[in-house]
Amino acid sequence: MATVVRGKVETNRAYWTFITPAFALYLFVFAFPIILSFVLSVSNYSGGKMFGGDPWTLTGFDQYFKLANDSNFWLALKNNVYIVLISVFGQIPLAFLLAYVIFRKIVRWGEGWQAILYVPAIISVIVLGIMWKMIFASNGLLADIINALDTQTFLASLNGLLAGGFNVTDDFVQKLLAISDPRALTGFANPANDVKELILSMGYTAANLDVFRSDMVNLLAPKWTPDFLSHQDVAMIPILFVTLWVWTGMYIIMFHANMQKIDSQIIEAARIDGASELQVMWRVIVPNLSGVLANAAILCIAGSLNTFALIWAMTAGGPMNITQVLAIYMFQNAFIGVPNFPLANAISVFIVLFSFILIGLTLVVERRYGGRE
Amino acid sequence: MKRLALVVAMVAFAAMSLVAADKTVLKFLYYADSSQAGYADDMASWAKFKADNPDIDLQMEILFDRPYAQKLTAYAAAGTVPDVVFMWPTTNEASSLLQSKKMMKDLKTVLPADFLKNFTAASLSPSAQTSGQLSELPQSFTFTTVMYANVGLLKSLGLAVPKTYADLKALVPKLRVKNVQTVLLPDADKWPAQSCLFSTISGRLLGDAWIDSVLAGKAKFTDKAFVDALAFYGQMYTDGVINISNVQMGYGDGPGLFAAGKAAFIIDGDWRVGAYLTDKSNGKALIDPAKQASDFELLNFVAIPGEKNVNTASAIAGTGLGINKDLTGAKLDAAKRLLMFYYSKDVQTMKLETGAYIPTRTDVTSTKLEPLSQKQIKYYSTVPKTTYVLDGALDPTVFGPLNDGLQGIALGAQTPAEVAALMQKAQDALPKK
Repeated sequence: MATVVRGKVETNRAYWTFITPAFALYLFVFAFPIILSFVLSVSNYSGGKMFGGDPWTLTGFDQYFKLANDSNFWLALKNNVYIVLISVFGQIPLAFLLAYVIFRKIVRWGEGWQAILYVPAIISVIVLGIMWKMIFASNGLLADIINALDTQTFLASLNGLLAGGFNVTDDFVQKLLAISDPRALTGFANPANDVKELILSMGYTAANLDVFRSDMVNLLAPKWTPDFLSHQDVAMIPILFVTLWVWTGMYIIMFHANMQKIDSQIIEAARIDGASELQVMWRVIVPNLSGVLANAAILCIAGSLNTFALIWAMTAGGPMNITQVLAIYMFQNAFIGVPNFPLANAISVFIVLFSFILIGLTLVVERRYGGRE
Repeated sequence: MKRLALVVAMVAFAAMSLVAADKTVLKFLYYADSSQAGYADDMASWAKFKADNPDIDLQMEILFDRPYAQKLTAYAAAGTVPDVVFMWPTTNEASSLLQSKKMMKDLKTVLPADFLKNFTAASLSPSAQTSGQLSELPQSFTFTTVMYANVGLLKSLGLAVPKTYADLKALVPKLRVKNVQTVLLPDADKWPAQSCLFSTISGRLLGDAWIDSVLAGKAKFTDKAFVDALAFYGQMYTDGVINISNVQMGYGDGPGLFAAGKAAFIIDGDWRVGAYLTDKSNGKALIDPAKQASDFELLNFVAIPGEKNVNTASAIAGTGLGINKDLTGAKLDAAKRLLMFYYSKDVQTMKLETGAYIPTRTDVTSTKLEPLSQKQIKYYSTVPKTTYVLDGALDPTVFGPLNDGLQGIALGAQTPAEVAALMQKAQDALPKK
């Protein structure tokens, strides 16, 4: 009996010897900041030295009530939810499908495709953000490509008009306006008169029709401006697209690696029994990887809620805060303009709680519907 | 032998440690744009300071624009303000805490009176700073609305320099046929539209007295006059005078596009002259001096319909260096020496010659100014009176919605009345004085 007790004490001592340093580190690195953040969120701390500076006290949950009535907070939360949705229901299914296609060798050079799809995940998100910002810019690559196509259509119509000769009559100007982008005419009080006057003042002749064509393209051709950012409902689309593009490759690697652990005989048996590729994927692979899928979802949720660098590089939350997310909103309240540290900390506490809720939901779903690996 | 080498190395290390220990460490957060022409001269001057002051271990951290503002705010928030910082006189975003919590020394009590007498009276006015003291010594008096004009481009297209808004608007189609924007106002960083344009619009249409009456609760931002001023700003986008693409354009992108002839005008602060001058380190200039002389002008903003305060422009006491209020003893002495070096005639002359700004130090002159710097001095004579820069006059919680709202108006996502209402709501929420 004494030996058993001594053994238990020994085990307990060893347990605490091994666990204490890691637990203390965990408390210091994770739990302490979260608790401190909560304390600051219910205080009137306004910056400066936390101890030895201006005195501060606990003041209650005012900041949380303020958040509840703050339209910018709800907008940031909505944008975060979009990112969570595109990550969980975009990245994971797409990555799973691509990983399956590579795993089952449905496409050739699967390893090569895997490497290509993974490349965005190894490049700095700041660099990627700046690159995509330039692509989506109003004078960026996307606009250039679409405008080049529009210009060709306009030029074809203009050439048709000029085939009858270059004579700046009212009729010619009316036909010119008819093929023009109506938005290009909004700056003119009387487009027919003003455009005619402008053309006459520029001194075009039949000998310099190339200059005329080029100038009319500049002035009147349809010009597409990527104005996602001016519409609240679609402002997040470029960001969601880039989010999908950057991280899908990482999950492909994760799923593919785990698919390779599945006993190939199970798959072959299913195929011999007449299961299609889709059925193999749905009935064999998905249940076997349900735990991995749940882990991927947790990673997605955590990553989505603290997403910062990519959006900061692409839009910095602007214009007018319409691409704001919680992490940027928290940063702006803490470090830009007049800092409101309690509010910033309330936002960060909310991010933590919201993460826990979503991760909890994911685990419940996995336990209820997931297979056993 | 090995033992001897070890002993020598240890003695050398100990000696170095002693020398280092004798030095006064001075942490300095400095604001500089490495792409600006005067950057190399600026760095050379700091190298000279280090050489002349071997007893000071100057630890400089150099940043620009948004990264600078964020770093300074983070330092202030954590109560770890560096010993000397570059800062703003009001509650401009970067200096908000420094000014409102009086985290810097009053330089009138630190710098000798016979040194301060070299500066203009306006620059020494405590009322020009939110803290009510000389928290920083303004190195310049900053005009925030300058219309940089490529008159060479206008001439080549047979166009005249506009004097009124109607003239400016008339240029739009004539420039657009040549794929040239009329006015550049890169506003992705939010503050430029407010600081570099709307402050002047507000000053001309309403004036400082009206802003004062809002602050006193006797007028409201929702009054028709202010809403109309916002509407005029929006009209500039509707008329095509400013292209909507400017809302997404970074502040740093403007000078390159303007110098390349992509726009006939750019609206920016007077501090931006330096971006176009010759970089002495490589002899290159965004606009070479001959072109500066022949093709470019610095103009007052065109006359706008209904302006009460004719030709005024927004201006404010400039930026400068401040000293952490906690400094004492050798550190304070070192900080004082650094400020007296920075504001010395030599360094301020260098600043003038590199187009950084026109110094507030009264004994600084130069015959080596590039044409654009000479035109900068000429520009000042075209402004009969200055008006508030709104981010210097309003509380940050009030000019924040304005900065956002100017983007919203440009994009058509907010109306002037909505923006005015948000500003008034923020103003009403301020504690009554």
